[in-house]
This record gives sequence, structure tokens and C-alpha cells, in this order.
Amino acid sequence: MIESIPVTTTINRRQFHSKAGYQRRKMTNVVMLSITGFLTILALVPLFWIVGYVIHKGGQYINLDFFTHMPRPLGMAGGGVLHAIEGTLILTILAILFAVPPGVLAAFYVAYKPNTPLGIAVRFGTDVLAGVPSIVIGLFGYALIVKNQGHYSALAGGIALAILMLPTIIRTTEEMIKLVPQTLREGSLALGAPEWKTALSVTLPAASNGIITGILLGIARASGETAPLLFTALGNESFEIGKIVQGGLAGHQSIFTILGKILEQPVDSLPLTLWKYAQQPFPERINQAWASALVLMILVLSINILARIWVQVRTNRMQGK
Amino acid sequence: MFTKLDNLMTEEKSRPPLMMPLALSQGVTDAPETNPENPNKIEINDFTLYYGKFKALGNLSMTIPKNKITAIIGPSGCGKSTLLRSLNRMNDLVPGVHTEGKIFLDDSDIYVPGVDVVDVRRRVGMVFQRPNPFPKSIYDNVTYGPRLYGIRRKYELDEMVENALRQAALWDEVRDKLHQSAMALSGGQQQRLCIARALAVEPEVILMDEPASALDPVATLKIEELMQTLKETYTIIIVTHNMQQAARVSDFTAFMMIDNPQNRTGKLVEYGPTVQIFTNPKLQQTEDYVTGRFG
Repeated sequence: MIESIPVTTTINRRQFHSKAGYQRRKMTNVVMLSITGFLTILALVPLFWIVGYVIHKGGQYINLDFFTHMPRPLGMAGGGVLHAIEGTLILTILAILFAVPPGVLAAFYVAYKPNTPLGIAVRFGTDVLAGVPSIVIGLFGYALIVKNQGHYSALAGGIALAILMLPTIIRTTEEMIKLVPQTLREGSLALGAPEWKTALSVTLPAASNGIITGILLGIARASGETAPLLFTALGNESFEIGKIVQGGLAGHQSIFTILGKILEQPVDSLPLTLWKYAQQPFPERINQAWASALVLMILVLSINILARIWVQVRTNRMQGK
Repeated sequence: MFTKLDNLMTEEKSRPPLMMPLALSQGVTDAPETNPENPNKIEINDFTLYYGKFKALGNLSMTIPKNKITAIIGPSGCGKSTLLRSLNRMNDLVPGVHTEGKIFLDDSDIYVPGVDVVDVRRRVGMVFQRPNPFPKSIYDNVTYGPRLYGIRRKYELDEMVENALRQAALWDEVRDKLHQSAMALSGGQQQRLCIARALAVEPEVILMDEPASALDPVATLKIEELMQTLKETYTIIIVTHNMQQAARVSDFTAFMMIDNPQNRTGKLVEYGPTVQIFTNPKLQQTEDYVTGRFG
């Protein structure tokens, strides 16, 4: 054993200290680094291409009117996509309302009771749901709500988007709850707090950053979806919240009646508008489709950026920085 | 000793553990005498705990005197923490736990059905191995307990916060930053905050599960000094791996060990005044352990 050591050292020494060996390793390093660098750039090309192209095509058509005006009749220049912006807003709010409470609570259940039949079922169901094509979810919304109600509506669209968001919310929330140290939970329980109180006032705040990120990612995903809305929210170029509210107030209707009126109408959304406008033979509409694409992109991007900033600020505050 | 254990094993097979003769399972206890001036706070009576089929604690009996510090020592995995967590029913949280025997807190058994676990945990507070302040402000950490019990008035809470922090010897260090995050405190301060948090619900007993094992020597010293002042008001039970610490701080020491490597059941080997356990133990096993010959 001891005699064999000098032999190996000699071989190693020859390899490691020869000039040629050093040069060869240096070259290999340069080559590998170049390959990874090149492939990274290659992967980034489509990203910047898309962003750049959409800005190039749509940027010039974005102005204040685009955000504040309703669409003008076909073939006429000007007008905006207020209906789609309002629709996106309503659909997203509905989706949050329908998806967040059950999603977060289901995540708590799965995180606390992973090996119960219900826990296993929920986890399996979530995985399946995450893989269901969004158009199928749209069809489900159609069969469940539209068919029964007899008309397309914002409500149906919101529910379809909520179903789409659910798996993202459940999975991220569950992971975040699991990351909360067990000792924190015990600390609360040892003070005599019941399990629900502990979950609500210790685990939830401790995991809130991650949960909020999960929710925002779910929103970002849902607000860019077209397929589920085709069967549920349909689209509606004359949807204008302001008009509905004014009409309602003039008729002295209660706030619930007005809300009901908003929810029972078909609505448009940015991706839906983009999809429809892009198919029309009018150059004004095509341009507005590009502009909608840009607005949608900025919307999703800013949700993501906001989420990151917010989480950072909260983490710092929690750690007392 | 081994013949005793063998007996124990065969007995266990033939009849339920509860029926076992007490004397066999107890080892040697030189328990503190009961007297009116210093009554026992906790009495553990033939207590057995199972995690599923695994018997983690076997037929343990001991009494813990009021306003004293009782240390539980023993090698890793001998059930020290399990025993400690049995005293405020924290083991209830582990799936598949069931217990036999009794644990009396003052005069009432905390293991009879219908006992209010919340009340048990209020009376028996707990401090953990690693400081575990909630990610809230210092103030909110201390008031977490009182708020649970319905105290809402600000002046009452303020008073409780000051009291608890003073008792935990933390007040002077944090009085100006009560509303800052507890996470910004040092490890030792966090642990004293956790003690304050436990004190805020006015417990009678404080369980400490290796409270200083994650702290540096200076912070450890502070905790140990704190324990000496706290024992005037509270009964303290501490689990520790550090035998010097047990010798330094405690009045009574219980030495636990696993029964045998096969069943890994924790049992009480010897229990008595700390001085006696460390200088003149009655059993060879105890002497071997406290002199560092094994474990």
C-alpha cells in the first residue's frame, strides 16, 4: 500500500504539471464555456425576439384612447379595448375569489394530512388537473354553467379560470406550508393554541410570502388564457362596466342587482380580443391585436415583478432589516 | 440487572404492561420526600407511551418537586424528550401515540379523558431546543399566548409584556424595540424571548428541551442564571445532553436509558438529588454515564 503511493504520485505529477496538460485543460474549459454561453444566448433569442417584435408592432398603437375607449365599428380607425381590460379585470377577480380560498385550504389539508385517503386524492387530483388542457376546462365550464344557465357569462369565465388556477395555488401553497419549521408550529401549540389557530396565525403568516407568489403566478397564468374563455365568457364588444353601473343607478337598483348584471353578461378579455382581432381582415384591428398583445405582456410581466418586489420587502421586514 | 430485564421481557409477553409490578420497572429512585412545605408538583405514575407499536417509554414513575429544577439526562434516543413532551401532552400531535398510566399535575391526572389539553398546556409551558420565535414583532410574540386566552385590552397586554420580558431578563435589551421583528434578535435573545412568551400565560411548570444546546456559552450562562431566578416562582424540568449543565443548574436529576438495544424502550434508571447522582450514584450504569464512560 505504502509503496504504491509514490507510483501514482509520479503519474499524477506528470499529468498535472506538464505544460501540455495544462494547456489542454484550459482549452477544454474555454470550449465548454463557449458552448454553454452560445446555447444560453440561443435560448434567450426567442424571448427577446417576441418581446421586441410585439413592442415594434404594437407599441405605436398604444395611446390613452386604447385604454379608455370602447372599440369603434369595424373598418374605422381609433377606439380602444376598454371592454377587454375591464373584462380581464372582472374575470381575474372572479378567478381569485373562486380559486384562492379553496386552494389555500386544500393545501393546508394536504400539507397536514398527506397520508389520509382524502389527502392522497386531492394531491392526485391536483396533478391530473394541472395536466388537463385548458380548452377541456373551458368545455367543462360550458357544460357545467353555460349550458345550465342558457347563456355565456363572466361568471362562467371566472369559474373556468379558477379551475385553471387551482393546481398552481394548491401545489405552491402546500410546498410553502411544508417549509415552515415544525418547531414554529409546536411553539404555538405548546402555548395551548388549537391547531386551526396555529395554522391561521403562525403557519399562514410564516408561509404567506410563498403563498402570495403562488397566487400571483396562478393569476399570471390564468389572465393570459384564451381557450377556456372561448366556451364560457365568449367575448362581448359592447361590455362596459360604466354603462351598466350608470344604468343601474339611474334605475335605483341595488348594488347586488348591478353586480349580478355585470356577472351575467358575456365579457371579453385581452387574450380573447387578441385572438379575435388577429383574424379580422381590417388593418386597424390587426394593429390593435398587436397592441393588446403588448398590454397583456406588460400586465403579466408586471404581476410577476410586483410579486417579487413585494415578497422581498416583506421578507426583509420579517427579518427585521 | 440483566436478569431483571429478562424477567421484564417475559412478563411483558404474558400480561399487559399495566399489570407489571412497579418495583421491577422503576430502577432506583431516591425521590424527594413529600412534605407540606415542598409538595410535589407532578407525579408520574407507571407511565407507558407507545408510538404505534413501538414502546418508547416503559412504566415510568417519578415525582417532581415544586419550585425546584429537575434535570433529565441520558444518552440520545432514551426517551428524555418524549417524557418531557408527555408532561404537557405535546405527544398528542404525533400520529399513533397512545399512553397508559397516569401523570398527575397537582392532584389531577392530565391523561384522563375529557381533560382540557389547552388548559394543561397553559399550566405547563415549554421552551424548545432551537429558539422558535414567531415571525412577528417582539410584542406580538409575547402577547400571542395571552391573546389566545382572550386578553385584548392594550394596557393589560402592555403590562404582561413588560412583566414577562423582565422575568426573562430581556426587558432592558428590547424595551425600545418591542415592535421590531423578533427574528432580528440574537439566538440567545430569541431563546429568552421564547421563555418570556411561555411565561406570559402564567404557567406553573416550565419544560425546557435542551434550551441552550443551540446557544453560545455566554447566552447559555444567561439562560442558566435565569433558571435560578425562575425556580422561585415556577417548577422547571430540563432535558439536557450536557451533564455539566445538569450538575450546575438542577436540584434533582433523573437518569434515563433504553431498556435494551432490541426494544429501545426508555426507562428511568436512577433518580435522586443532583449531588448524589453525580457524586455517589447507587447504580453502576449511572456512574458509568455521569463519569463519561459511555453514552
